[in-house]
This record gives sequence, C-alpha cells and structure tokens, in this order.
Amino acid sequence: MKIFLIFLFSAASLIAQIKADDVKTLTLKNGMKIMVLEKTIIPNANMYLFWKVGSRNEYPGITGLSHFFEHMMFNGAKKYGPKEFDRVMEANGGANNAYTSQNITAYTNWFPKTAMEVIFDLEADRIADLDFNPQMIESERGVVLSERTTGLENSPLSELWQTVQGTAFFAHPYRWPIIGYESDIKNWTKEDLENYFHTYYAPNNGLVVISGDVKVEEVKKLAQQHFEPIPAGPKPRKVHTIEPEQKGEKRLFVKREVPSAFVMIAHHVPETGSDDYYALDLLSSILSQGRSSRFYSILVEDKQLAIQAGSFYYDSFDPTLFYFYGVCGDGVKPSVLEKALLEEIDKIVNEGIAENELQKVKNQKLMEFYRTTETINGLSNTIGTYELFFGDYKKLFTAPDDYKKVTADDIQRVAAKYFTKQNRTVGVLNTEEEL
Amino acid sequence: MKRIIKNNNCAVIKAITQSLNLSILLVIVFSTSTFSQFRLPSYEKVEMENGLTVYLMEKKDVPLISVSAVFDGGAVKDGLHSGTASFTAEALRFGTTNYTRSQIDSLFNFFGSNISTYANADYSGLSTQFIKDNTEVLLSVIKEMIVNPVFPDDEVQRRKQRWVAELDQAKESPRSVIGSYFNKHIFGDAPYGNPVRGTKAGIEGITADKVRDFYKTNYHPESSAIAVVGDFSSSEMKNLLQKYFGSWKNESTKMIMDIRMMNAPFEDASVYLINKDNAFETTFLIGGYGIKMSNQEQTQLDVINTILGGRFTSWLNDELRVNAGLTYGARSNFAKYKNSGTFYMFSFTQTRNTEAALDLALKTYNRLFEKGIDEETLSSAKNYVKGQFPPDYETSGSLAGLLTQMYMYGLDDSYINNFENEVNSLTPERANELIKKYFPKDNLQFVLIGKADEIRGIAEKYGRVKERNLSEDEF
Repeated sequence: MKIFLIFLFSAASLIAQIKADDVKTLTLKNGMKIMVLEKTIIPNANMYLFWKVGSRNEYPGITGLSHFFEHMMFNGAKKYGPKEFDRVMEANGGANNAYTSQNITAYTNWFPKTAMEVIFDLEADRIADLDFNPQMIESERGVVLSERTTGLENSPLSELWQTVQGTAFFAHPYRWPIIGYESDIKNWTKEDLENYFHTYYAPNNGLVVISGDVKVEEVKKLAQQHFEPIPAGPKPRKVHTIEPEQKGEKRLFVKREVPSAFVMIAHHVPETGSDDYYALDLLSSILSQGRSSRFYSILVEDKQLAIQAGSFYYDSFDPTLFYFYGVCGDGVKPSVLEKALLEEIDKIVNEGIAENELQKVKNQKLMEFYRTTETINGLSNTIGTYELFFGDYKKLFTAPDDYKKVTADDIQRVAAKYFTKQNRTVGVLNTEEEL
Repeated sequence: MKRIIKNNNCAVIKAITQSLNLSILLVIVFSTSTFSQFRLPSYEKVEMENGLTVYLMEKKDVPLISVSAVFDGGAVKDGLHSGTASFTAEALRFGTTNYTRSQIDSLFNFFGSNISTYANADYSGLSTQFIKDNTEVLLSVIKEMIVNPVFPDDEVQRRKQRWVAELDQAKESPRSVIGSYFNKHIFGDAPYGNPVRGTKAGIEGITADKVRDFYKTNYHPESSAIAVVGDFSSSEMKNLLQKYFGSWKNESTKMIMDIRMMNAPFEDASVYLINKDNAFETTFLIGGYGIKMSNQEQTQLDVINTILGGRFTSWLNDELRVNAGLTYGARSNFAKYKNSGTFYMFSFTQTRNTEAALDLALKTYNRLFEKGIDEETLSSAKNYVKGQFPPDYETSGSLAGLLTQMYMYGLDDSYINNFENEVNSLTPERANELIKKYFPKDNLQFVLIGKADEIRGIAEKYGRVKERNLSEDEF
C-alpha cells in the first residue's frame, strides 16, 4: 500500500453521542414549551415548530384547511408582509418548509447559526399577528389545487390510499385526505382561516424544538424576548369522535388506466403509544423493511407476484390504520396478489415468527435510532414527535430498549388480534375491474 | 407540504487540473482558527498496490460507518442494451462465490442495515451504512460483491421480468421520467441521451454473459475507489481494506473511453410532446445544453441559478407559484455530467393552464437577459447558498458519497474549501457576464408530457413539434 496524500484538517469529529439529558426543556409563561439540543458538527441549526392541529381537527366544509393554513403561514404578518417571511429568511441564509399530517402541523427552519435571532423574529411575527391578505388567499388556492392534482397525477397509489382511508373510516375525521376535498379547497373563506388561527395557533398549543450549533442560554433569552409576550389562548376542543367498531370486510374498486394493478389492505389498529404500538411497529418491519422482509423476499423475489410490496403504520393521536399494499407484477391479477398478501399475514398469525427475525427488526430499530440522531433535522423532528405522540421526548432515547422488550409471542398476538377479516378494508386500483 | 423543491448542491463539485500521480508522502496541515467558513473534515487518501483508491475519514458522533464504492461504468457505456450499467450494478447483489442473493440481503438486514447499488450516467456504485460493531462481517460481504460476483443466470432472468414491469410503472409518474425524455431530446443518440434505467427492449436483450462482460470491462481496482467514513480508527480500517481488497486484480487492460461531446448547436426551437391520454396536468422542462462537472465557474453559476429557480423566492417559483397560483412549484437547474450537461426549467400545471405557465416561465427566464441581476438579489442568494451548504455534508453517508464523487470527476477539496470564496467573489457584473456565456437563450428545447390532443396547438407556438406516446418503449 502506498500512501501518497494526507490531508489533516479540523477535528470536528470529537463529539460524544447525544443522550436524553442533553435535551434541555423550558416552558414559557404563556405555556409554550421549548426544547433545545446543542450539536456542533456543522455551523448550522434548525427550529421545528409543532402545532397540535391537523386534518383530524377539521369537519366537512373545511376539509384540508389545516394544510391550507400551513401555506398561509408564509403569506404575511404584521411586521413582515406578504413574501417577506421567505425573502428575509433566505437573505439571511435560511431555508424552510412545513408539513401537515392528520394530527399535527410542523414548520421547519434551517439556518446558519448566525441567523437565529432573525428566525425568532420571523416566527414570533407570524404566530402573534398573522395577516390574511385576500389576494394571497386566492393565489394560494391555485397552488394547493395544483399540489393536489400533481400528487394524484404522479401516483396511482395516492389515489387508492385516499379511497381506502375514506372507506375504512366512516365516522372519524381520519376519513378525508389531508389535502382536503377539491370542493372544500375552492370554497373555504377568510373567516374560516381566521377562526382556525385563533383556535389552534396559540403558544400553549405549540412545541418548539431547536437543535444544532446553538447555546441553550442564548435560545432561552431569545425565546423569552420573542415568544413569551405572545398571549396564551383557550384550550382547543377535543376531537371526541370514536370510530365505531367495523363489523365486516369492506371492499372498493378505483378505475384508472395503469399498466398493472395496485392492491391496498387496511386494518384498524390503536394509536401511537398504546400498549400494542411497539409490537405492531416491529410487525410492520418484519413484513416490509429491507429486501429480506417477508413481503419483499416472498412476494417480490420468490413468487414474482409484485414489483413492489410494503406496509405502513403512521404516528397518530387516535386509533388509526395499518396498511399493506402491493403493485402487481406483469400479468398478475390483483386477486392473486391480495390472496398472497393475506397468506403472509396468516402465516404470522398461525406460525409466529422466528427469533432471529425478531432480532433482525430490533437491530433495524437500533440502526434507525442512530441514523436519526446523526442529523440535527432527524433529532429535532423526532424529539418533537416523540414528545407529542408518546407524551415524552425521552421515549426516543429509550426506543431501542423498548423495542427489545417485545417478544415473538407479542408479534403473533397483535397479528391475530387486529388482522381479521371483519376489521379489514380491501382496495384495488386497475384499468378494468376483475370479474 | 409547503413545497417539494430542493436543489442538490452535492452534485456540484469543482474540478481540478492537478495531477495526483504522486508516490511520495505529502502532509498538508491547515490551522482551523484562521477559517471561520465550513471546511471538509480531515481525511486520508491512499492508493493500494492494485491501483484501488481508498478514502478514510473518521467521524464519531454516532457509532455508524458508511461505505461508498464507485466503478468506472456508467450508462454512457451501455452500448446496444440500454440499461446494462444499471442492471450490472444491481446484479452485484445477485450472489457471490460464497453468498447467495438472499444471504446477502439477510446478512445486511440482520445487522439493521441495507446495501444499495446503482448506476448514473457516468459511473456505477455501491453504498451502505452499518453499526460499527458489524464492520468485519459486512465488509467481507461487500468485498465479495465487488470482487467475486457470479451473476447467476436464473437471478438475471427473474430480475429482468420485474425490471420491465417497473419501466412501465415508472411512466405513471411523468415527473420521474421527464428527465429521460429531455436528455433524449437534447443528446439524441449520443451517450447522454441513453436513459439510465434503460428501455424494455434493452433490458430484454440482457443476458448473464452480457452482465459479466460489462463487469469485466468496467470494474477494475485501478479505476475504482472506496470511501469509508465514520466511527473507526483509520489505521485499523486501512488494514481491513488491505485484507479484503488488496488481492483484487486488474484482469483486463484499463479501457480509456474519452467521450467527446460535440454539443451540436440546435438549429431551431423544438418541442418533444409526449402524449399521456389520462393526464390532467402538463409536466414540462425547457432548456438546452449546460455545463460539465469540471467547469470552474459552476459554483458561481449555481448562485445565479439560485436566483432564477433554485430556492423558494426564486423568480420562477415566485412568478408561477406565488403570484399566479399556476403550480405547486417551479425551479431550474444545471444537471452536470463528466463530459456534458443540461440546463432546464421545470414545472407542471393543470392542462388548461399549460399556455399561461409556459409563457410565464419564458417571460421570467428572459428577465435574466433583459434586466440581469442586481446587487441586493445577488447578496441574498450568496447568503442563501452559503447558509444551506454545510448540512449537505453532515452525515457519514453524504461525506463518503462526496469523496467518491470527487474521485470519479477528478476533483479536489477546493469545491468545499473554496466554496465560500467563490461565492463571495461573484459581482453583479460578473454574474451578468456568466448569464450571457452559459444560459441558453435561443432555440430553446421543450419537453411536454400531457394530453396531446388538448395541448398540441399550444406546443406548436414554441417550436417544431415531435410527438410520441408515453406508452411507447423508447424515450
């Protein structure tokens, strides 16, 4: 081996691993909680703002409003008018994005550490004094209608998913798509937006997480200066609708021209943080994480029935759905793929799983934990979501151990408990319905 | 989501002309205190006896190790069977002397990891990230995949069948295939016009022997590199790599394939109209030739592109999305390859708004030439690219990818370490000169994917129209 070039630069790598105690929490007088984590591997930081509002807080007529509101948060406030939020942030080296789920709305700012005070000023302005410019509302309606159609144009799976969700739920607000119905997007009013803002965007309904090359004391000072003067609001009303128990299998068909059919199967399961959460989450990994997963290795590789197969189980405040899906291989009928997907579930219900399979998915969870904690974005986002969905951010740091406690019997038990025919909704999307 | 836009700064690296053909030990030490700007963390670069280049960078904030290996066999070398480079890269996972495909998958997954292989236009690669405790066992599998793949016939046949179905399915998303149509339209039958994932006819013609040939011709230690970044000691890692890769032999002579792209000028403006019968929106790209990876002015060009279409407040996004509400996003980009490149603007809109969106994109683009760039806008863009630069190199995976990319494109550390200087030294005068020099002005080339019957008349307004159905195999 011949060594021909060595560069020795800064030693930015001598940094210890993050622990739960490294996260510092402060609660402002208005009830806003701020969590801070110092990590100095790059000279950057981020600010994640989570609001406890999502499409589950809507009702027919204003479906999609949480998501539309997410867009309106960028369209002008008192100090920084329309377009100024983005212009000022980008001119200071920052960038931002936001996402809306069924449960929460999150705003994300990424910036060089030197820009932190500007970020506080921008956020405080829109949280305290958002303005609803009628012209901006109208152009943003066009943007969101385009976001809706481009999602559907580019993904048959999204179209099937929306229909499966709308069929599996008939009472709970999880039944409508996060982006909303087209007719609602076209018709909601400025008053709807104002009501939403006053109901859900009070500091006591939010959570702020900041990670990166910052000092806790500096964050505290800026938070007190910019966020603390914003008055608290009344507690929003609870979402009290409970989806009644499903009493039999539901089936649906979506007609769309596609080269091969899509199949999606959903079962009702409990919310994040429930007793069965960790077992269900590991079960999802067993079914679809990696090429050795059951769906991939058997349905895609061995039997060649699908070109893609997966499962997902999202974080949620209320009881939710556990999905399986697959895209048929060339010439494979959707009924054949549906049967094959269900056979894999039956195998788990009847025969359970192997110990090394369980160990594998636990290792995958440990790896996921390390990957998450490698970036300041991963840290802020998961610290925030654990705090909201599990009630304690520390659950992020105990997750590898919490998963370790799950046994093979637990996996078999939850599969048998939830993956029943009665609890199932099956959707097929294809050019023609199979006879 | 507020938006889907994020230009990939990682793909932008500055070239060097310096020869690395040294066999003496060189140590260069920089004092960090004199630099406040972001710098590439320290690393070691080693060339083994067999010519394999190895990069080692220690990074210990998490107990993970990332590996990126690259081979000089990209889609430009596909030849008769479009998709051969991509297929061969994937076939590294089909089995080795000592492991079957399913054993490879199971081993990586068992330790919580995944392994991926890929090809792009210029080269092929393998990358993975794993927990440091599993280094030895997984490195030995990686070694087998790189040095002793066997390409079993049955695995090749099975994968081909699925691959063909995937190519059909990919066309369900105009956004994910429009780039292939654009490159075909720009480069025609030249190597960069070849779609990286191939065509159905190309894939159907692949055999295990053809995969073996492609591997033999293009996977050699002397034209490959491996970067390892993460929680390890460099001296120990060096020994491990020597143990696993030291005996990899250069079995055939190194093939030097110098692709000289002529970039023949376009004689007229033209529109490649791709008919999608069930489309309810039109997805479009507008552009022409761009720049190579080795272009010395690329950092400054990217600052200019940030203003046009590289950030949320960019002109294109501001006009098409924020002011007009015609789309969810509009952006522009220089796609750089080793020997050529493209520049394009991208957006999508509901079918009935096609003409309005195209006109507005063109009108906005012309501002570059008519008004140029002022000091305030430039200063904002400079701050933006500098502020958003370090997070691209935060993880061991992104750093390993960067090091191997530097190898493939013959670049040095100056892209990272001179990045801020390059950005800072850009003046409005210089920016306006670069616009004239690099942004295509006349005979723009268009690709539209949408409902042809409804937009054919509109397409004709912008240039000579050539039509194809999305369902056809060719791009």
